[in-house]
Formats: sequence, C-alpha cells, structure tokens
Amino acid sequence: MPSNEMVADIGLEEYKYGFITESEHVFKARPGLSAEIVREISRHKGEPEWMLEFRLKALEVYYSKPMPKWGGDLETLDATLDEIYYYLKPQEKMERSWDDVPQEIKDTFEKLGIPEAERKALAGVGAQYESEMVYHSLKKEWADQGIIFESIEDGLRLHPEIFREHFATVVPVADNKFAALNSAVWSGGSFVYIPKGVKVDIPLQAYFRVNAEKMGQFERTLIIVEEGAQAQYIEGCTAPVYSTESFHSGVIEIIVKPNARFRYVTIQNWSHNMYNLVTQRAMVHEHATMEWLDGNLGSKLTMKYPSCYLMGEGAHGEILSIAYAGDGQHQDTGGKVIHAAPNTTSQITSKSISKGTGRATYRGLCKIYDGAESAKSKVECDALLLNEDSRTDTFPYIEIEEQSATVGHEATVSKIGAEQLFYLMSRGLSEEEASAMIVRGFIEPIAKQLPLEYAVELNRLIELEMEGSVG
Amino acid sequence: MDNTAIMPERMLTQLEADVLAERYSGEPDWLSDARSEGLLKYQDLPLPTTRLEEWRYTDPSKLKWDRVSLATRDTSDAPAAAAIGYAADIAFSARVVQSGARIVSIEVPTELIEQGVVVMDLADAAREHGDLVQKHLYQAAPASVDRFAAANAALWTAGVFVHVPAGVEIEAPIRIIRCIDEDAALAYFPRTLIVAEDNSNFGVVEEFVSPDFQNACFNCGVVEAFAGVGAKVQYVALQRWGHNVHHLGMQRTFAQRDSKLDTLVVNLGASVSRVDLAASLKGPGARSDMLGLYFAQGDQHFDHSTRQNHEVPHAVSDLLYKGALDGKGRSVFRGLIKVFPKAQRTDAYQTNNNLLLSRTAEATSLPNLEIEADDVRCSHAATVGQLDKEELFYIMSRGIARREAERLVVFGFFGDVLDRLPLPGVVRELRAAIAQKIAG
Repeated sequence: MPSNEMVADIGLEEYKYGFITESEHVFKARPGLSAEIVREISRHKGEPEWMLEFRLKALEVYYSKPMPKWGGDLETLDATLDEIYYYLKPQEKMERSWDDVPQEIKDTFEKLGIPEAERKALAGVGAQYESEMVYHSLKKEWADQGIIFESIEDGLRLHPEIFREHFATVVPVADNKFAALNSAVWSGGSFVYIPKGVKVDIPLQAYFRVNAEKMGQFERTLIIVEEGAQAQYIEGCTAPVYSTESFHSGVIEIIVKPNARFRYVTIQNWSHNMYNLVTQRAMVHEHATMEWLDGNLGSKLTMKYPSCYLMGEGAHGEILSIAYAGDGQHQDTGGKVIHAAPNTTSQITSKSISKGTGRATYRGLCKIYDGAESAKSKVECDALLLNEDSRTDTFPYIEIEEQSATVGHEATVSKIGAEQLFYLMSRGLSEEEASAMIVRGFIEPIAKQLPLEYAVELNRLIELEMEGSVG
Repeated sequence: MDNTAIMPERMLTQLEADVLAERYSGEPDWLSDARSEGLLKYQDLPLPTTRLEEWRYTDPSKLKWDRVSLATRDTSDAPAAAAIGYAADIAFSARVVQSGARIVSIEVPTELIEQGVVVMDLADAAREHGDLVQKHLYQAAPASVDRFAAANAALWTAGVFVHVPAGVEIEAPIRIIRCIDEDAALAYFPRTLIVAEDNSNFGVVEEFVSPDFQNACFNCGVVEAFAGVGAKVQYVALQRWGHNVHHLGMQRTFAQRDSKLDTLVVNLGASVSRVDLAASLKGPGARSDMLGLYFAQGDQHFDHSTRQNHEVPHAVSDLLYKGALDGKGRSVFRGLIKVFPKAQRTDAYQTNNNLLLSRTAEATSLPNLEIEADDVRCSHAATVGQLDKEELFYIMSRGIARREAERLVVFGFFGDVLDRLPLPGVVRELRAAIAQKIAG
C-alpha cells in the first residue's frame, strides 16, 4: 500500500476536485424559483408545449408538498432553495468534438481526467457543466448498432416518440417533493437507448460538474434497455468548495425490458457543502436484472435510495451501497426493492463507515406484494464506526403480504477490532495504515464490483479520508 | 359519580380538574395534582394518526378508543375471574385479582408480609406508602409520553403496587389477574408499579383475560418497573383477552447497575393489540432480556413497538420477538436499539422472526438501530418466512397428519423463546394456551 508521502505526491491530500474555474455563462437565470423561471428554462431549450405544461404542473406539485420531516436535517434547505440559481447555461450548444468545447470548461474536465478516461475504456462519454451537457460522444461501433446516447434535451428533440412513451413513467411527478422540483426545472442528464439484443460490454459514462457558486443542478436521465440487451452506465459527480450551500437533485429513470441486464454505477464525491437529494428508480421486467452500485463519499447531506420495482416474473434486483460519512457529513442512503411478481429475487448489501462526527444512515424498504409468490429478498447492512463521536443508524422497512416469500434482514455495527489492528501493526504497519487497510477490507466486497479505475479511485479516496483518523 | 354515559374523548377534553378530583377523591394531593396534570397533557397532546411514523401501520381508530365510555370502579360486583378461566394452575406467592375496573381480591402470605413485601392496591399504597409511591409513579412512564399515557396518568383505576425490599428473594411469581366480564363499550385504565430494591429477586406475571364480547371495549394499561442495584426481576404480560377487546399496553422499565430486568410479552387474544415497551439501561452492568411471542388468527392485528435505551456504558440488552400469523392475521414489529453518546461497550441485539401460515396473513418488520457510540456490539436481524417444507415433510413421513405436523413445527418455532423463560410454571401454561390457539 502507498505510504502517506506517496498519497501526498499524487495530490490527494485535500479534496482535489475543489478548484474553481472562472467561466462566463451564456445565460444565467435569476436566483430563486418561479413559474417565470420554469418558462424561461423551457424557452431556452425550445421545448414542445407538452413539456412546458408538464413542468408547470410539476411546479404546483412541488409547492403543494411539505418538506420531508424524516431523513437528514433539512432545516437550512429552505433558505438555500431561495438563493440558488436553478438554471445556468454554460455554452450555446453541445459539442460532439472535444476540441470545440470552450477552453475553461475543457480545462475543468482535463483536470478531472475525463477525456483521458474516454480514450482508455469507455463506449461513450457525456459531460455536464452546470445545467447543460457540454459534451457528448459515442464510439462509432456502438452508434452503428443503434445505441442512442444523447443529452436528455437531444433525446427529447431527436427521439420524441420513445422519449414521451417512457418519460416520467418510472418516477411520476408527485412521487416526492424533490422529484416534483426536478420535474419542474430539469436540465441536462442523459438519454440512453439500448436496442433489442445489443450487448455493450464497456461502460457509458456521464460526468457531472457543478462549478458556479449557489448552483442548483437538476439533471434528468432516462435509460431504456430493450429486450435481451445489456449495458452499464457510470456517473461521477464533483463540485468546488464554496462557503455557501449548493443543491443537487437528480431524477434517474430506467426501464429494463424482459431478459435485459443493466448496471448503474454512481461515485458521488460532491464537495461537503452540497445537498444531494436524488431519486433513482428502475422498472425491471420478466427475467431482467438491474444492479445499482451506489457509492456516496461527498456532499453535506445525501438522501438517496436507489430502487428496483420488480414488475415481471423472475426479475432480479441488486443494490450495493457504500457510504462514507466524514466530519459533518450525513449519508442517509440505502435502497428499495418492491416485489410485484412471482419468483422475483433481490439483494441489498450496504456498507457504511462513519468517521469523526460523520453520520451514516441506512434506510431501506423491502416490500413483497400479495401474489409475488416465492419471492426472495436478502438485506445485509454493516456499519463501521471509527470514532467516539461517529454515529450510525439502520432503518429498514420490511412489509410482507405474501405467504410464500422468504425475507431476511441482518445488520451489524462494529468498530475496528483491537485484535485486527494489533495483528497488522505487529507486521510493521503504522496504526493509521492498519486502520486504512481494515477499512479497505471492509468495503472490498463492493469495491471489487467496480471497474478498475473506479475501484482504485475509491480506495484512494478512502485512504485520503482515513488520514488522521486515528487519534 | 356516574360518568358511564360520557365518552372519554369528550370527557377528557371537557372535564374540569375539580370533577376529576371528585371522581378520585380521598387521594393525596400530590396524586390529585398528577392526575390533573395528566388531564392537561391529554388536552395538549395531538391525536395520534397514521401520519405519525409510530402509528403508520396501526390506525389508532382501530382501537375503538373513541367509542367507549369510562368504566367506573363499581362496574363489576362479583369476582367472576375464576369463571373466565385464567391460568389457575400457576403457582404463585401473592395474588391480586381485578374484576371490572377495580381490585376485588389481594392475597399475600404472612411470610412475605413479615419480610416487608408490599402487594396492594396502588391507590391505597399512595396513602400508606406515599413517599415510596411518589418517588416512582409516573417516573418511567410520564403523562408526556403520548396521549394514551396521559389518559392513563389521569384516569387509572385498579392500580397494583408491588414493592420488594432489599435482599428479599421470592421463589414463586407474584400474579396479577386482570379480568373484564361485562360486555359493554367501556374503557379500562389499569396501572402496575413494580419496585425492586437492591439485590431483591422475584417475578411478576400479569394476565389479561375476558370472554368474547359483542361490544368493543378498550383497555389502556401502563406498567412501570424499577430494578435497584443487583436486583433480578422477571415481568411477564400474558394477554389473552377475548374477541372485541382492544388492547393498548405501555411498559417502561429502568434497570440500575448490575441489575437484570427481563420481560416477556405474550399476545394471543384481543382484536387489536398494541404494546409499546421501552427498556432503559440506567447503570453499568445492567441487562435486559426482552422476549416476545405472538400468534394472530382471524383478523387479529398485533403491533409491537420496542425500544432498547442504552444510556450508560457496559450494559447489555437482548431482544427476541417471534410471531406466527394465520388467517388474516397481521403483525407489525417496530424495534429500536438506541445507543447514546458515551454508552461505550454496549452489547445490544434485536431479532424478530415471523411465520406466515396463510396466504392472507401479513407481517411488517422494522428493526431499527441508532448508534452514537463507537465501541459497541450491536446487531439486528428480521425474517419473514413460511413453515419449513422439509420439516413438515419429515414429521408427516412419520405418519402424523398435516395439521398436527404444522402444530409441531409452530411449537418448535416458538421453542427458543419459551426455553429462555426462567419461570417453569408459566412456560407450561403458555404451551397450553398456544396449543389451544393452534387447535382453534
């Protein structure tokens, strides 16, 4: 394992994505929210009338729903929501060639290593800067097979029929307050269509960057995986460190049709002043498989529970969740599996680490409807506490209406064992190195499911976060 | 003093404190004041609805508590208790019987009296052992907990006070038998206060029995138990109400240093039963084992809300609740292990297992953890499943009929709860009660 000096050498000693890029915006809406802002967003996007109506209706729903009283502390959120910019348009049009992306935005993503990643091992890349996708590309071999990978706006413009058939069918407007807000002001995100039988073995990637201060990012992603198709999608998120709070509220809708297989990976590393309230949901049809791999390391407060609605017989859902709550952070994460058909199976595995005053909360739902015969679900939560002030909670909901269902939930909470530490230190490791190694071992079952670059990145981040954790 | 025509809802929101004082006349001032305060709290606290997280799965209106009149203390004349058929065979040291809304008999052997053991009507104890009662009553379950705790604080009757002096050990359990025999839409508010002084050792078995009723009645009981340093207390609540009784039970236990305060909650009867219990570990070395057993049939609805409060370091709590659900039976289990900051070296465990015996039964399980100390061992587990087909097949292959085989498997399922109960006479009685229910 690298020593601390080596960690310092590769520039990981601080939140390395905290830099700020000076940039001009093509359009900046006034801060705060109103029907007028919603109309402006729609006008800028040149949307059809039905979308504007959809947005305005969603805004009404947003206003009518109370702020959630559960989960994290949302007390200061009202003030933040009054101050943030709901729409920042960074450039006139989205680019297909990296060379055409404005220099300062290009610089930002160069620093984040995105073009490099694309050259290496990705089928397609999208990059979102503030409110819009600034870059989208898909390798020709995949485009030739009929895969669509566009910004959500282009998805609506170029493929209006598929778009309208599926949009807001997985996460309806009134699902929750923040889904309603996103439905009103959504901007950016990806539209992905994998045609019948097409199997993409390397991932599509989207990268989300918030650069401006007091920014609200509301990306919306719609993914349709046709029968028998296979693909995976990775998203990464970062933002600079400002003294004011920012807000990110995405809605991700995925439809996995019969016998298809899809995996969605998130590595969320927002700066520690970001509220991150996201609705991610997949409809999973007959004998299809959906996997969520959800890594939450950044943000001030994250409330995110990726869901699998198992709608067809034999559908399978898996949620792997890893949360790291450092000083002052609250990761309120978990997953939901809803069994609505016979012989459906699911598994939720959650690993959380709380350090300093960090708080990690697992919140999950396992619902088995009457008639979902022989459904099986297994939930496992493990929490590791590193310091005296650290906090962890586990709030599972298990609702079973079907007699032939089999459901198990287990959770354990522990601290780093003195024996484990002693053993490693007797082999010549410092206490800090030994702790980091134990933590890495703890998250190993999840890290090993990640593509290599991400696993390395996750390990680096954990190591970085672990620094100075042993008093 | 006939208030039977007045609904408690209206009565409690409109009742003047002086009317309350008249109703409970002859009580010491501190108690009258506490009742008035309970009344005020009741008027302040919001009406529970399913919008509250803790009532999300049990609609409070199911308890029919707003459709009953207050039972007066004179409702029942004769102790019809024995006729109702409570578990008569359990050996006991002392015995208290409630019929209707009042205590009708108290038996305490001389040897216990000589050792200073007090088993009496709580209202009498408030006069005769004022300091002792005042020091404990409402301390573990104050009126401020919720609207029902407030109602009980203001209105309790048929109270029982158990006080066991330091070092006294009682072999057979003290029994409290609470019977309702009047088929009328009435509300009952029993209360039990158990005080175990340092190093005492005894058990209390409280049983709730009634016939099946035509009219919906409501029982809202509160139990407070205090275990002093090194004391060992076992408390068993055996709920065997008949059909159309709606049961709301609140239990609060405080365990001091090195004490062991164990509870067993058995729910077999009533139409709707909600039990809300919290064990607070107040001193290092304290331990609470919390056992639960329930069997719902027909359209019975059982709700268990449990809490393990670890307020100090080095305490242990271990909870095991097991339930079988047949017919349209429905169960809700909501458990919370709460480890406060600084409560290091806590060991806390929580397990809830459910067995669905019919297609129409439903189980909801919410085993929660809130941990604010880092040096702890905590785990929870919950399962919902059906009868093990292999086990059934094995038993049936020995020539046993299906129904009987099922009965044996259910017994096996409950076995590890019953095995952990340190009161053999009670276990025997419980097995019989479960067998009767399975046969039913």
